[in-house]
Amino acid sequence: MTQDEVADQAQAEVVELPAASRATDIAVNELELVYAFIYARVGNRADAEDLTQQVALKAIPRLRQNAAASSIRGYLFATARSVLGGFWSTRLGLSEAELREDLLPAPATDPPSEEGTETVQRILAELSDNYRRVLELRFLHGYSLKEVAKEMNSTVGAIKVMQLRALRAAAKVRPE
Amino acid sequence: MNGKRENRVEKIVSDLLRGRRLKLRGGDAEEKAAITTAARLAGVRQGPQRMQPAFRKRLARALEQPQGEGWVTRRAALVAGLGLAAGAAAGGFASRAFEPQPVHASDPIRPSNGRWIDVAAMGDLVEGQGKRVTAGGVGAFLFRHGDEVTAVSSICSHLPCELWWDGGRSHLVCPCHPATFAADGHPSDPYRHSALNKVYVRVVGDRVEVLGTA
Repeated sequence: MTQDEVADQAQAEVVELPAASRATDIAVNELELVYAFIYARVGNRADAEDLTQQVALKAIPRLRQNAAASSIRGYLFATARSVLGGFWSTRLGLSEAELREDLLPAPATDPPSEEGTETVQRILAELSDNYRRVLELRFLHGYSLKEVAKEMNSTVGAIKVMQLRALRAAAKVRPE
Repeated sequence: MNGKRENRVEKIVSDLLRGRRLKLRGGDAEEKAAITTAARLAGVRQGPQRMQPAFRKRLARALEQPQGEGWVTRRAALVAGLGLAAGAAAGGFASRAFEPQPVHASDPIRPSNGRWIDVAAMGDLVEGQGKRVTAGGVGAFLFRHGDEVTAVSSICSHLPCELWWDGGRSHLVCPCHPATFAADGHPSDPYRHSALNKVYVRVVGDRVEVLGTA
């Protein structure tokens, strides 16, 4: 089933919200989880806010009163996957098949879990020592290229190439 | 991807680690696997993220308003804010009757004390192609349809960014996010953004004038 089909299926089931003020609270709380889910995939606040707002724009008008919070969550996440799919598809021409791994993980929990961090740790663990080290220093410890080069007794140019190769290798790892 | 791929990917990584938006180019698709992985790594760097209070408030406010009218984009909020500031600067009235009205995307732009400004000759306009013009503080794209001309705002209806005309695909493109608009201002992507504000335009002889600001 494609991402759009998942979203369409969710949209076909009209979800109902409780009374207005509570509906807002529930929707915003659920969007908090959607935001964490999206942020973990685009890696920056500006894009995560835009995409979360797009999810709200698409999903909220279809929500109605008296639905369970779990139904709302399912619908919002189906919409989030569709919006994220559109984001990467438009920017990089990624197909839905290529996005499947990235978009299928279970919805985030409240409070946001460490699911993303654990997944990344599993991916890094599959890499060679040098590739893992360069990505850990750069992304997890926030080192500059120059600092990574110094730490690994290499040059900035060589680290840049290693970083690209490490990212390519990490992209091929399929976390269990 | 122009230049060395490692340099381009490093620029994207560097932007991500500084918390900047993903600004991608067409050629970046060649390294799409590396780029999406970099975004994912950057996303977990500081652990699970929560919405900033300002964004959360913005969402909550929008949800509390009637659908269809309540969704005020950052751009519309900005324009409305400018209206308020202008009203105050003009010595404003306290009466509700004179309070600035909310500005909605797709409404025509009516500048206070606006005036018609000559922006182009009819001969400058090519059928089927958008032409960017400015009339004081109003930016617009003109479109010729035979002897008639229509105009839409050059500012995206979602983010306050300057659109550009993609002649190959015949639509206006927002550089800040994946939003595109047809010549009539309606969105041509699936994101259901509001239509672009219309801009008043008229043809006088062989000249084109836009209602702008001095």
